Amino acid sequence: MSRPEEPIDRFAAAQSESRRSAVRLGSKAGHEKRTEVLFRDYADPDSLRRLAGEIKQHTLDHLDLYLERAQARLEANGAKVHFAADAEEACRTVLGILQGRGAQRVVKTKSMATEEIELGAFLERHGVESLETDLGEFIVQLDADKPSHIVKPIMHKDRREVARTFEGHGLGAYDDTPEVITRRAREHLRRKYLEADAGITGANFVSAESGRLVLVTNEGNSRFCLAATRCHIAVVGIEKLVPRDRDLGLFLNLLARSATGQSLSVYTEFIAGPRGAGQPDGPEEMHVIFLDGGRSEILAGDAREILRCIRCGACLNVCPVYRQASGHAYRGVYSGPVGAVLTPLLAGERFPEFADLPRASSLCGACNEVCPVDIPIPDLLLRLRDRGKRAGVKPAGAAPSMKTFARLASRPAAWRRALRAGRLLGLLPGPLRPRALRVWESNHVLPPWRGGAFRAWMAERKRKQP
Amino acid sequence: MQRSGFVKVPQMKAPRVQLMATCLADAFFDDVARATVEVLEHLGCEVSFPEDQTCCSQPAFNSGDWPAARSVARHCLRVFNDAAPVVVPSGSCARMVSHGALLLFEGEGEADRAGAAELAQRTWELGDFVVRGLGVARWPGRLGMRLAFHRSCHSRGTAYADGALTLLRSIEGVEGVELGAGEQCCGFGGTFSVAFPHLSRGMGTLKIEHVLATAPDALVSGDSSCLMHVAGLADRTGRPLRTLHLAQVLRDALRASGEASA
Amino acid sequence: MSETRRLIFERLKTALGGVADKKPLPDYPADVAVSLGARVPGDPVARFCQSLEAVRGRAFTDPAALGAWLKERRATRGYCDPALVSWLTTALGDGLTLESTLARERIDDYQFGITRARGAVAETGSLILDDATTSRRLGALAPWIHIAVVSPGRILPDVGSAIAALGGDPNVIFCTGPSKTADVEGILIEGVHGPGEQVALIHLFGAP
Repeated sequence: MSRPEEPIDRFAAAQSESRRSAVRLGSKAGHEKRTEVLFRDYADPDSLRRLAGEIKQHTLDHLDLYLERAQARLEANGAKVHFAADAEEACRTVLGILQGRGAQRVVKTKSMATEEIELGAFLERHGVESLETDLGEFIVQLDADKPSHIVKPIMHKDRREVARTFEGHGLGAYDDTPEVITRRAREHLRRKYLEADAGITGANFVSAESGRLVLVTNEGNSRFCLAATRCHIAVVGIEKLVPRDRDLGLFLNLLARSATGQSLSVYTEFIAGPRGAGQPDGPEEMHVIFLDGGRSEILAGDAREILRCIRCGACLNVCPVYRQASGHAYRGVYSGPVGAVLTPLLAGERFPEFADLPRASSLCGACNEVCPVDIPIPDLLLRLRDRGKRAGVKPAGAAPSMKTFARLASRPAAWRRALRAGRLLGLLPGPLRPRALRVWESNHVLPPWRGGAFRAWMAERKRKQP
Repeated sequence: MQRSGFVKVPQMKAPRVQLMATCLADAFFDDVARATVEVLEHLGCEVSFPEDQTCCSQPAFNSGDWPAARSVARHCLRVFNDAAPVVVPSGSCARMVSHGALLLFEGEGEADRAGAAELAQRTWELGDFVVRGLGVARWPGRLGMRLAFHRSCHSRGTAYADGALTLLRSIEGVEGVELGAGEQCCGFGGTFSVAFPHLSRGMGTLKIEHVLATAPDALVSGDSSCLMHVAGLADRTGRPLRTLHLAQVLRDALRASGEASA
Repeated sequence: MSETRRLIFERLKTALGGVADKKPLPDYPADVAVSLGARVPGDPVARFCQSLEAVRGRAFTDPAALGAWLKERRATRGYCDPALVSWLTTALGDGLTLESTLARERIDDYQFGITRARGAVAETGSLILDDATTSRRLGALAPWIHIAVVSPGRILPDVGSAIAALGGDPNVIFCTGPSKTADVEGILIEGVHGPGEQVALIHLFGAP
C-alpha cells in the first residue's frame, strides 16, 4: 500500500544491505575506539566534556568580543581578515583574492564550511581548478558524489568502488588494494600541490588570544596545501573561536579521542600568520574569511548550543538512526545528530524541507553522552519539533495528531470511557483502523487490549482493605 | 544535558505513595501495574491510585505539539497535587515528569513552573525508589531464571538502570546478563515507531539479535514501552521473545518464596 | 567588507542581548587534560621513545645506527638542513648522499629529509616543528622518510605544556607519527601525503 513517508525513513528503507552494513560497522568501530581511549586516558572523561562545553558556551555567549579580539591579533600577525555574511559573499571574497593574484589552480583541505558554501563548484564555474586533497574527499570529487560522514567521507564506499573510480579517471588499471589506491593518490596529488597557486583550508579552532588557527589532519594534506603554495585562504565559521591558547589543549585532547580514538591526530598545525621570516616554503600571504552563513541567527534562537560543535563525528558513530539511515539520508553537509539540528537551522526559509530530521529520533540521548562539548542534542531536537509544529509543517509520517489524545488525557471520565471502548478498535477491519495503528501492526503484533482491567482490580483491592 | 538537580530525600520509613500507573499499563499492561502495587505493599508502603490520572504528556511533548502537551501535563500536576511521593513503573515517564515537563513549562507562568518543579523532585522510577528511596539493595525470594537486562534510554544519566540491576542480581537464582551494544536504542521512541517505521524496525531487529545472542529465559526492562516494541516485533518476525517488566520479576520472586501478598 | 563586518557584529550584539544567563569562563588547572599515563613520573626521553613507537614512529639516539637503518631501507639520497650537513655527513656513515638544497621539480628524488625539531612531546610521541627551526617545510613533509633531530632537553612532558610553549613562531606543528589514512574501508594505510616513516634522532646537536 502506497502512502507518504518521511524522507529519511524512505531513504533508510531503500538503502542496500551492504551499504547499511558498512556504515554500521564503521560507526561501531569508531564508537568503540573512542570509548576505549577516553576511559584509558582519563579518570573522569565526562567532567572534561562538561568543562569543554562550558568553555564553548561561554565563548558563544561573548562571541562578539572574542571575534573582535581574534581579528585584531590576526591583523597584528600580518594576516588579512575578511567577513562574509553568506555563502555568496564568502565565495566572491575567495575568488577576489585569487583573481588578484592571477591564481588559476587551488588545492583544498576538507572543510565543512567550504562544503556549506559550495566553494569548489563556484570556483570551477569561474575558471579556477579546485582540487580536494583529503583522500576521501578526493574520491568523492572524482565520483561527483557527496561525503556521508563528517570525519570519514567515504565510509559508505568499499574498495572495489574506489578502484573502479580510479580506473575511470585514468589513475591506473583496476587495483582495489588499499595500499595501491593510497599510493596512487599520493603520487597524483603531490604534483598538484606543487603546481597550485593557493591553498584553501577551514580551521578546527581559532584562539582569540593569539589569533592562531588550528588545522588538524592525519594525512598531512593541509600542511602540504600550505607548504607548497604561496597564498593561504581559510574559510572559518564564526563559532570556531576559543578564548585562549591554553583552552586549545583541552579541545585537542578531546577532539582526536572523540573522532578516531587517537590521543592526537598526526598533524596538528598552529598558524598565526604567513610564513616566518627566513622560511622558504609556505604562504607569504594569509587570508582569514570569517563566515556567518546563518550562525548569528542560530545564536539568537533556542538551539544555540549546537554551535559548540567541534565536528568530531562521535555523535554520528553512536547514533542508531545514523547507523540505519547513513549520512546521505540527511540531505545536507552535516549528518547524524548534529546534522538533525544544524541542517534545518542552516536551511533558513527552507526549514520545512528538513523538518523530518529533528523528528527522526527516538531521543535516546546517546549523542549527548559522547559529545565532547556536552551539547544537549535531544533537548534541541525537541525544541525544533515544537518550532516545526508552530510553523505549520505537516509531517508525512503516520504519527497521530495529538489533539484527540490531549482532549482525552485531560478529561478523566472520557479517558476511562476510552479505555473500556478501546477494545473495539481491534474489531475494526484493517482499512478502517487508524493509520498509526495499521503502521504499528505492519511491524508488530499488538498486545491484547486490557483497558479498565487494572482500575477494576485496584478498586476491588481498596474495597477489601480497611 | 539539563539535569533537574533536585535532591530527592530518601524516606526510610513506610510512606504513603501515589502510583502513576502509566497510560500503557492502563491500556495493555495491567499486570505490570498490579505487580508494582504488590511490590510496594510488600515494602510496607500504602499505595493510593488517584483515579483521575491519565498520562504524563510525553507522547504530545515528543511529537512537538507542546500546547497539547501542556494541557495534559497541567492535568497531571492537578491529579498528583499531594505531598506524597509518586512512584511510576517506567523510566521514560519518570524522566518526562522530572525533566521534560521543566522544558515544557519554560517561559510559562510561575504557577506551572513551580508546580512542575515540585512534582519533579518527588517522582521516582520504581527500581530507583526501592534502592535509593527506601534503601533496599537485596531483594528477597527466588527466581531461577537467566535474565537479559535492557537499559532503556531514559535511564541514561540517572540511577534507574543501576537500581534495577542491583535488585535483579541480588535475587537468589537469577543469572543477570547485559546485552551487547547496550547503548543502542531499541527503536521504540513513542510516535517515532509509527512515523519512522523503517528506522524503528531496523533498530529493533538489531536489538532482538543482541537479545537472542545471550540466550536468555526472558528480557527484562524497567519500561513496558521498550518491551512492547521488542516483543511485538519479535512476534511479528516469527521469533517470539519472553519479556518481563522489573516489577513482575520482583513480584514473581516474592511469590516463589511465598512472601507476596496475593 | 567593513559593511558586512558591521552587519555581522550588529547581528551578534542583538542575538546575545537576549541571553539572560551568560556563562562565565571556567577556571581549571593547567593539567586537567594530561592523560593518566603521562601523570606517572618518568624519564621524558624514555617516555617520548615509547610514545613515538606506539604511533609507529622510530627513535634513534645514535646517528651511525640511523645511517645503517637508512642504508638497509635503500634510502641513500636525501635532503638535509644545511646547518646539520657537515656533522651528519660524518656521523651517519658512508654510502649516503645529503643535499643541502631542495629542488621542487625533483621532489621525489629525496628519499629522506632531515630537519631540526624545536622540541618534542613525551606524552604523545609528537615532534614540534616550526618555521624558525625547520630549514624547509617541504624537506620535512615531502620525502617518504622524515628525520627530525631533537635535543633531549627540549622534550616537553605533555600536550598542554607544549601549547604553553608555542611562543611567537607563526607556524608550529606537532607531528605525531607517520602520515596516515583509514578512508578506504577503515583500513589503516601509512604514508598518504606526508611521510610514511617518522623518525626522531634524539641528540644534543638538535638544538640550534
